[in-house]
Amino acid sequence: MNENDPLDGLRGRPAPQPTREARQRALEAALRSYDENFSTAPQGSPDGKRQTGRISEIWRGLMQRKLAATPAIAGLVALPIAGYAAWHLMGEGSPFGPALEGGTPPPVTETQAPARQKEAAPAPKPEVAEEREIDLSTQLAARPEADQLAAQPNAAAPVEAMRSAPMPAPAGTRMVRGLSEAQSKLSVLPPEPMPPEAVSQDRLQAFDTNPVRSALESPVSTFSIDVDTASYSYVRSMLKSGVMPNPDSVRVEEMINYFPYDWKGPDAAATPFNTTVSVMPTPWNEHTQLMHVAIKGYDVQPAQQPAANLVFLIDTSGSMNAPDKLPLLKSAFRLLVNQLSDADTVSIVTYAGSAGVALEPTKGSDRAKILAALDNLGAEGSTAGEAGLKEAYRLAESSFVKDGVNRIMLATDGDFNVGPSSDEELKTLIEAKRKDGVFLSVFGFGRGNLNDQLMQTIAQNGNGTAAYIDTLAEAEKVLVQESRATLFPIAKDVKIQVEFNPAVVSEYRLIGYETRALKREDFNNDRVDAGEIGSGHSVTAIYEITPKGSPAQMMDDLRYGAGTDKPAGDAAAGAHGGEYAFVKIRYKLPGEDASRLIETPVTKANEVASFGQASADQRFSVAVAAFGQKLRDTDATASFDYDRIMEIATAARGSDPFGYRAEFLSLVRLASALDGKR
Amino acid sequence: MMAMTMADDGVAPDGLLAARARDGDRAAFAALVERHYDFIFRVAFRLTGRRDAAEDVAQDVCVRLGRAISGYRGGAAFTTWLYAVVLNAARDALRRSSREAVRAHAFGTHVALFSADAAEPDDPAEALWAAVRELPDKQREAVTLVYGEGLSHAEAAEALGIAEPTVSWHVHEAKKRLKALLRPAGDERR
Repeated sequence: MNENDPLDGLRGRPAPQPTREARQRALEAALRSYDENFSTAPQGSPDGKRQTGRISEIWRGLMQRKLAATPAIAGLVALPIAGYAAWHLMGEGSPFGPALEGGTPPPVTETQAPARQKEAAPAPKPEVAEEREIDLSTQLAARPEADQLAAQPNAAAPVEAMRSAPMPAPAGTRMVRGLSEAQSKLSVLPPEPMPPEAVSQDRLQAFDTNPVRSALESPVSTFSIDVDTASYSYVRSMLKSGVMPNPDSVRVEEMINYFPYDWKGPDAAATPFNTTVSVMPTPWNEHTQLMHVAIKGYDVQPAQQPAANLVFLIDTSGSMNAPDKLPLLKSAFRLLVNQLSDADTVSIVTYAGSAGVALEPTKGSDRAKILAALDNLGAEGSTAGEAGLKEAYRLAESSFVKDGVNRIMLATDGDFNVGPSSDEELKTLIEAKRKDGVFLSVFGFGRGNLNDQLMQTIAQNGNGTAAYIDTLAEAEKVLVQESRATLFPIAKDVKIQVEFNPAVVSEYRLIGYETRALKREDFNNDRVDAGEIGSGHSVTAIYEITPKGSPAQMMDDLRYGAGTDKPAGDAAAGAHGGEYAFVKIRYKLPGEDASRLIETPVTKANEVASFGQASADQRFSVAVAAFGQKLRDTDATASFDYDRIMEIATAARGSDPFGYRAEFLSLVRLASALDGKR
Repeated sequence: MMAMTMADDGVAPDGLLAARARDGDRAAFAALVERHYDFIFRVAFRLTGRRDAAEDVAQDVCVRLGRAISGYRGGAAFTTWLYAVVLNAARDALRRSSREAVRAHAFGTHVALFSADAAEPDDPAEALWAAVRELPDKQREAVTLVYGEGLSHAEAAEALGIAEPTVSWHVHEAKKRLKALLRPAGDERR
C-alpha cells in the first residue's frame, strides 16, 4: 500500500531541536503549575460556598476585568481581588474548579491570584488579611502583568458587554516569552489566552429562501410551527464578534419568534391558543401587503403545572472546556434548577469518553444535591453521544411521570454524534421515544463546532425546542423567563395551512419557515410530526402577498390561462368573495393522538389601513423579518436599507422590560456597519 | 517500593513516574516532563510547523501537565495520553490564530499574522507538510500521528480518542484533499 501512498513523503521528517531556553522556560512553567495544583489540593473544605459560587464567579470575572483595564488603578485593585480570590480559594478547594485534562483554566485572574499567594506564602494560610499585604506587593512589582490582563481575550464573563468588543491579538503566548525572566523571579504563572471559539467548523444546513408562488397555481401553503430561537442567538453571537453570519445560519422565523410578543391569548386552557391575523401594507414594497399570523399559547398557571421529570444530558467532552461552554452551561442549568418545584425530578447524565450517570433521579426538594452534582462536572475526553442519549432515556423512563412532563435536556457544543450510529438512526431513536412520551430539547453552547443541523433535527423529532445559549442573559431568557414555555407543552404537532384566494391574491411568499415546510396532504395526516407550542409561547408567521392587479406581480398572467380566470371570478362572486385567505391550524393536545382544527377566514375586516396603524408588536416583528431577510440577502428586501429597519424597530420598541429589543437595535447597527464593508 | 519498581536500565518507567507525580512527588514530575519535553516539542512542531509556535504550544502543554497529571489514570501508555494533551494544546493555539485571521479579515485591517513568517517551503516534503497543516483538525491530527509519528492506526485512534476505522477514514479523506490542495500549488510554484 505504500508504493503509491502520496503521504509517504511525510515520513521521517526530522523536527528541529528545541532551544535550551524554551525548554527551560517550559519546565519551570510545568513545575509552577504542578506546585499550584498539588499544594492547593488538600486545602479548603469540600463543600462550603458552592451555592453561590458559579454566579458570583462570573460577576467577579467581569468586575476584575473592567477594573484591571485601567492600568493606573490596577495596583490598588489587586488588593480586593486577591482578598476575594483567597476567600474563594478557601471556599472552593481548588482554584481550578473541576479537574481539567488537557484543557485551559477558568478565569485567568483567578488562576493568577492564587499562584502569587502560593509562591509568597507556601504554607497553609488561614488568615486572609496577611495574604492581602503580601499579594499587594507582588502585584505591584508585576505591573506589566496588569496590562496584560486587560489584553486577554474574554475568558470568564459571558456577558454581553465583554463580547461586543473585538479582542486584541494573541498577546498571551508572545508576552509569555518577553516576560519570562520577570516571571520566573516573581513566580507568576503565565496567563493562557482562552480559546472562546473557532469560526470554521459549525455545520449548517443550506436551504433556499421560499420563492414567490402563484396563488392560482399553488393556492395552498403548509408548514409546521417553529418556536426555536437558536438562529437568532447564533446570528447575534456572530455579529457581535464582528462577522456577518452565514446566510444559511439565518432562519428568519426563528429570529421573529425569539422575541416575546403580546398577542391576544385564549381565555381558557380548553382552547390552547388564539390566532390573530392582520393584513397590512409592506414597508419594503408599496405594492404588496403582509399577512401577519400571530399565535399565542395559553399561559399555564404555576398551580396547574404538572410535575416535571427532567434528565440533563450534558456533553462533558474536552471541547466543552471553554468559558462559553461548560461553565456557562452550569450557570444556566443552575438557573433552571432554581425554578423547579419540590415534586420535580432531576437526573444528570454526562457523556464524554464514556457515558455516565452524574446524578441519579433526585427530587427537586433536594436542590443542594442537584446543584452540587452540576458543580462537579468537568470536561474531558471525546464524545460518545449515542451512549449518553440511551442512558438518559433509561433514566427518564425509570422516573417517568404519567401525565407530567418527561423531558431530556441535551446540552452540547455540537459534536454530538460520534457513536457508531448515523444521524438517521439517532433520529429514529428519538422519534420512538417521543411516542413513548419522553421529549427532548437541545441547548447549544459555544461556537466553532456547533452542529446546527443535527441540533435542529434532534429537537424537531423530539418535540422540543432548540436554543442556542451564548450568554448568561440568554440562559436567563430561555430557562427562567420562558421556562414554562420550554418545559410545559400545551399543544403539539401544530401545523398551519393557508389557502389563498386567487381572486384577491395573485402571488404570495412565506417569510422564513423554509426548513419547516410540509406537504399539502401532510396537514390532515396525524402521523406527520410538527412543532409544539409551550405554555405562553407566541409564534408568528408572515406572508408577503401581492394583491390581484398589483404592479408588483412577479409572474406574468398566462396567455393561454384565460380559462383559469373563470373559477377565480366565481370565487370572487361567491360566498367567500373578498376573502384574502383561509387559515387552518391543526394541533393535538399533549396527551392526545387525534388532532383538532381551528379555522379562520382572513377578510377585509382583518386589514390595517397603514403600516403605522399596526400594533407596536406587529411592526417590530416585521422589522425583525426584514432584518432576517436582509441577512439572508433576499431579493425582496435588497433595496430596503438597515436605516429603515432601525426606524421601524425604534418606533416599535415598546416597554421592552428585558432589553431584548434594544439589543436587536444594536445588532442592526452592527450588521449595517459590517455589511457596508463587505 | 524502589527496588522492585526500577526498570532494567535503572530508569523508572513513565507509568511509575506518572503515578508518583500524581501522588504529589514533585521530583518524579520534573523528571517526567524533562524526559518528554523533546517529544512534546517535536509533536507540536509537526502540528504547527513553526519553531516559535511549537515552543509556545510545548510550554502550554507543560503547564497543562502540571494540572492534568492528577487526572492521569494510567489506563493508556503515558505517551498516548501525552499525545492527546499536545493535540489539544496545538488545536487551541491554531484556533486562536485562525480566529485572529478571521477577525482581521472582517475588519479589513492588516495584522501580521502568525502564519505570515512561515518558512517558504522549497522542498517537496516541506510543501506537503504545509498542506497537511491546512487540513481540518481531525485529518491533520490523524495524518500527523500516522505519518509524522509513525503510529499505527490503532495507536493513533487511542491517542485521538476515536475509533480505529475513523482514523483510517480521516487519513483517507486527508489524501483526497491533499491531492486537491497540492495540485494547483505545485503548478504555480514550479
